[in-house]
Amino acid sequence: MTWVLRRVDDRLIHGQVVVAWGNHLRPRRIWVVDDAAASSAWERELLSTAAPPGIAVRVLSLAEAAADYATEETAEGPAILLMRDLKTAIALADAGVTLQMLNLGGIHYTPGRTKINEYIYMDDADRERARRLIAAGVILEVQDVPATRPLPLAAIDPAMAQS
Amino acid sequence: MANVPALVVTHADLGAALMRAAVRVYGPVDGVQVLSNEGYSRDQLEKEIDDQVALWEHGGLILADFWGGSCHICGIAAARGHGEVIVVTGLNLPLLLDYLHNRGALAPRELAERLQQKGRDSIRLHYDQTA
Repeated sequence: MTWVLRRVDDRLIHGQVVVAWGNHLRPRRIWVVDDAAASSAWERELLSTAAPPGIAVRVLSLAEAAADYATEETAEGPAILLMRDLKTAIALADAGVTLQMLNLGGIHYTPGRTKINEYIYMDDADRERARRLIAAGVILEVQDVPATRPLPLAAIDPAMAQS
Repeated sequence: MANVPALVVTHADLGAALMRAAVRVYGPVDGVQVLSNEGYSRDQLEKEIDDQVALWEHGGLILADFWGGSCHICGIAAARGHGEVIVVTGLNLPLLLDYLHNRGALAPRELAERLQQKGRDSIRLHYDQTA
């Protein structure tokens, strides 16, 4: 099997991922692609122990993820890919990774970001990255948990329509 | 012996609701902080928790709702380097009440181990034998 969810979520592994998506998709593996987390043995251990039994967690740098991405597509069982932000998604795409569809599950408020819904906030740089991904053929859907309806980012953020 | 301090960290309004329920059973409560993860990124929630536990001179307990959630993960990250700060997950009302009754009698580690057992023991099944 292959990727069943590619998600941008600044909480990385947390309840919505392991409980809601985990029960819905039954992943065998979760990849966390994050240079900062991958560079810390303590952080790798923390994220690995957070997942339920039966789900293997890999915490990878961008370079490691780009190199191994294709092999994961032929591995047995479904897998989830987690990224902290759109900057990481862009970097993966620039490294040759085909993302196809991105689930936007959590980009929380920081100064300069405006609210799109309760869990997605963006500033101009975020929107520019989103436009670049869409232009590259990536579908961006906003959805926190499987029980809610996925919505195209462009449909709920009027600012995305402005160039 | 001073009370072991606690920070209740949960999804949505669960922590506040549990504290309201605890007050009904136990009576007025002071010295317990409550934090919801609502609206926070991981870094932000970690900082909110860190701001509280940094005030604890002799350790304390972070009472989080479930293992694997952001409250648990951020609790562990924030507790790092603050001495005997212990994260207890699976928070329920019996566990919270037991904390309130024993926070002045035990050290953080003994109290955390007691609460782990209390939380487990509180989940019981009853079958109607006449059915």
